[in-house]
Amino acid sequence: MSIVGLLPHLVNGLALGLLFALLALGFMLILGLMEQINLAHGSLFALGAYFAYAIATPRLPLPPDMLQVWAAVPLGWRFTAAMFLAPVLVAPFGVVLERLMRRTYGRDPLYGLLLTFGMAMVIEELIRIVWGTRDYMLPVPRGISGGFMMLDLIWSTYRFWAAGFAIVAMAIVWLVIEHTRFGALVKAGAHDSEIVQALGHDLEKLRVWVFVLGTMMAAVAGVILAPIWGIRPHMGVDAVIPAFVIIVLGGVGSFWGAVLGGLLVGMVVGLSGAYASEWSMLSMYLLLILVVTFRSRGLFGKKSVLEA
Amino acid sequence: MRTGHTVPTLTPAMIAIWVAFATVPLWIEKVGLYQYLGVEILIFATYALAYNLVLGHSGLPSFGHGAFFGLGAYGFGLAQLNLVPDLWFCLGAAVVVASAGGAIVAAFISHRRGIYYSLLTIAFGQVFWFIAIKSHAITGGEDGLLKIARLPVRLGVATFDLTHNISLFYFVLAVFVAVSLLLWRLVHSPFGRILKAIKQNETRARFVGYDVWRYKAAVLVLSAGLSGLAGGLFAMAQSSAFPDVMSLHYSGYIVMMTLVGGGLVTFWGPVLGAIVFLLARDVIGAFTTGWMLWFGLLFVALVIYKPEGLGGMFLRPARRKPAGAK
Amino acid sequence: MALFEAHELHLRFGDRVVLEDISLSFEAGRLSGIMGPNGAGKTTCFNVLTGRYRPDRGRVLFDGADITGRSPQAIARMGIARSFQLMNLFDEFTAFENVAIALPQTRRRGADAVGQAYGDAALVAEAHDILGTVGLGQRADQIAKSLPYGERRALEIAVALACRPKLLFLDEPTAGLGSDGRARLADLVRRLKGQVTLVVIEHDMEFLFSLADDISVIHWGQVIAQGSPAELRTNPWVKNSNLGKLA
Repeated sequence: MSIVGLLPHLVNGLALGLLFALLALGFMLILGLMEQINLAHGSLFALGAYFAYAIATPRLPLPPDMLQVWAAVPLGWRFTAAMFLAPVLVAPFGVVLERLMRRTYGRDPLYGLLLTFGMAMVIEELIRIVWGTRDYMLPVPRGISGGFMMLDLIWSTYRFWAAGFAIVAMAIVWLVIEHTRFGALVKAGAHDSEIVQALGHDLEKLRVWVFVLGTMMAAVAGVILAPIWGIRPHMGVDAVIPAFVIIVLGGVGSFWGAVLGGLLVGMVVGLSGAYASEWSMLSMYLLLILVVTFRSRGLFGKKSVLEA
Repeated sequence: MRTGHTVPTLTPAMIAIWVAFATVPLWIEKVGLYQYLGVEILIFATYALAYNLVLGHSGLPSFGHGAFFGLGAYGFGLAQLNLVPDLWFCLGAAVVVASAGGAIVAAFISHRRGIYYSLLTIAFGQVFWFIAIKSHAITGGEDGLLKIARLPVRLGVATFDLTHNISLFYFVLAVFVAVSLLLWRLVHSPFGRILKAIKQNETRARFVGYDVWRYKAAVLVLSAGLSGLAGGLFAMAQSSAFPDVMSLHYSGYIVMMTLVGGGLVTFWGPVLGAIVFLLARDVIGAFTTGWMLWFGLLFVALVIYKPEGLGGMFLRPARRKPAGAK
Repeated sequence: MALFEAHELHLRFGDRVVLEDISLSFEAGRLSGIMGPNGAGKTTCFNVLTGRYRPDRGRVLFDGADITGRSPQAIARMGIARSFQLMNLFDEFTAFENVAIALPQTRRRGADAVGQAYGDAALVAEAHDILGTVGLGQRADQIAKSLPYGERRALEIAVALACRPKLLFLDEPTAGLGSDGRARLADLVRRLKGQVTLVVIEHDMEFLFSLADDISVIHWGQVIAQGSPAELRTNPWVKNSNLGKLA
């Protein structure tokens, strides 16, 4: 395959990788401060996608006349509303999850893993009850749908847009973490939660807010990825695994490790997809096993709860 | 374990459980259930006991055990369809294939522990699952490996047919008896106690001279092999093998069963867990569509409030007494 | 040649030099003491000697064999056992099983997956004997976690003894003990002396000066003084430092 022929796969991979990185960053924020693996992170991602679908198509539990009004609004507006509203609607799920997880703080992180696995199953089943088992597609507004020609190849506009959006979202997260008091507290807390308490800050509140932030990042990633992946009940599990692969690959506790891990996973999946599309997701695990065999803490990892 | 305490090979609880299972075909239909459920429960009970060898007895939180169960199922099916359609040979193949899978995984992860162990077993589990789905030519892909026969039991002098669920039940019961007996001996053997020591304090175990990673590798291979045996039985029971059982969901289910039943604190906990899990699936499933919603919530509640599981609830008071009496 | 020799050990963590040119030798049958202030590198030194860390440079010889960089388990099997400053027991096991699991006899049967773990009367007697030695004869059936602090300290030593070592490293055996506990431990160490070669890290100067045949003082990752207790008392360096005043 020529280099030009590989380009679309590379770009697709990059777009996927950026969205994975966004998802993984939320996962890592929670891991960093709470020292807990949140296997339900993917379920929050899935909820984001389903809520966006309900808002944009629209299939909301509203009185018929109100629904009609909303349905008359152009798709562009509905999609935009979904992008911002869905994460807000998913946030309370994150708060509930955090409340449940409180009991496991300070205990063997295995309990957090089990608890969130249980919650992932619960949320997935809830989704099946509410929306059934069939697949949905999230419609994309005309402005960012379709494709365009470049270098004699057809490119998907939406993927470019999604990649750009992911970059902006991560830039915001980066600014929040690096340049706000909240971010400083989160970083201090991830390093040593006692410091935060000693400084007179409410660690419990901080945990809730970090969970909300992580949840919303998952939900945003779900909304943006939905038109590419499709919406189905087990998309949560399909997504949480790349997220943890990225974190283990990039190294726990490193922002740039997660970004690089995401890009690496995206590109490996994208490029292997060019040669054997059937097997592309497998490459991600092989990459993980390869890296972790030789660098036990991932590319940029520090000593972390994972080694307990 | 108490001073100079030897553990009897047969205990009253063990015999009671075996006998209770043996009566199942006599009444299971009268309570509105069906014979095949008994077979399924026994297979998963065997699987859960094998899984608990790593989780409960060695403290290795594998989250990818479905791979070994699935390898056993495919091993059984492929051996039967391509090699020799003999029950013993095919079950042997199931064990060998699953053990080999376990050995590959063990080679990469035996120096790990805790959450890292979980994450890497998830990754390996996904690799096996993925290969099973995508190798259409060998495994039949998502359609599964079909037309697996319930092979007759050849015992030299006599041959038993297993096509009926009741006869299959008793054959699976015989395997369950053998596996539970073996594991009971194992956890009270030097090997088993060393595993328990490693579970509690890996560092100290090394400093008293144990090659910790070898024990961890050995127990994973053993557990994988026995899980594969259960998988082989499952392939026979279902007359087919599907990639589903290798998915993260199924790998999680076996963790759920083991934990819900109390595998962390009692030997028989996983058996109780398998019973509760499959009964919940059928009974709750009969009333509502989303049985996993309720079972998942039960599981979450147990993790939060009673990590010792259902088995632990019964055991706790009895366990405290001797300590207090001293 | 001494039973155990360490030559010019160096170890760095990142850019911090933890051990700098440490040379030590321990004669068979004697009790050697190691002292020094907190953070001087005593425990790190133990960790290098017993295989937990690999030195950047230097050699460790035991019984004439080079054991530098060998794994803790390999070193343990050669006959070097250690106790830990921070207690490091099999918490859920009884005192009996803590000892029984560490016995070489159990280790040799490690591949036995069907036999009785502790069915052998000789093994049981041996474990009880060791528990008796450290004064835990009556505690055999108690769970390690539930033992009082002082008895856990004793069990810590019992587990190391159960390895049947030729050389036994004790890392601050009296840490956290009151005067009663110290006296009892001093008594135990005195009884062990002669049966096994001992190397003891200790903060308690009285304890060390009354028991040790020779003492090495470690400070800033170096051996700054070495000799018999009597020699050390007159060593000007030791005298002038805080350590000397304590002694």
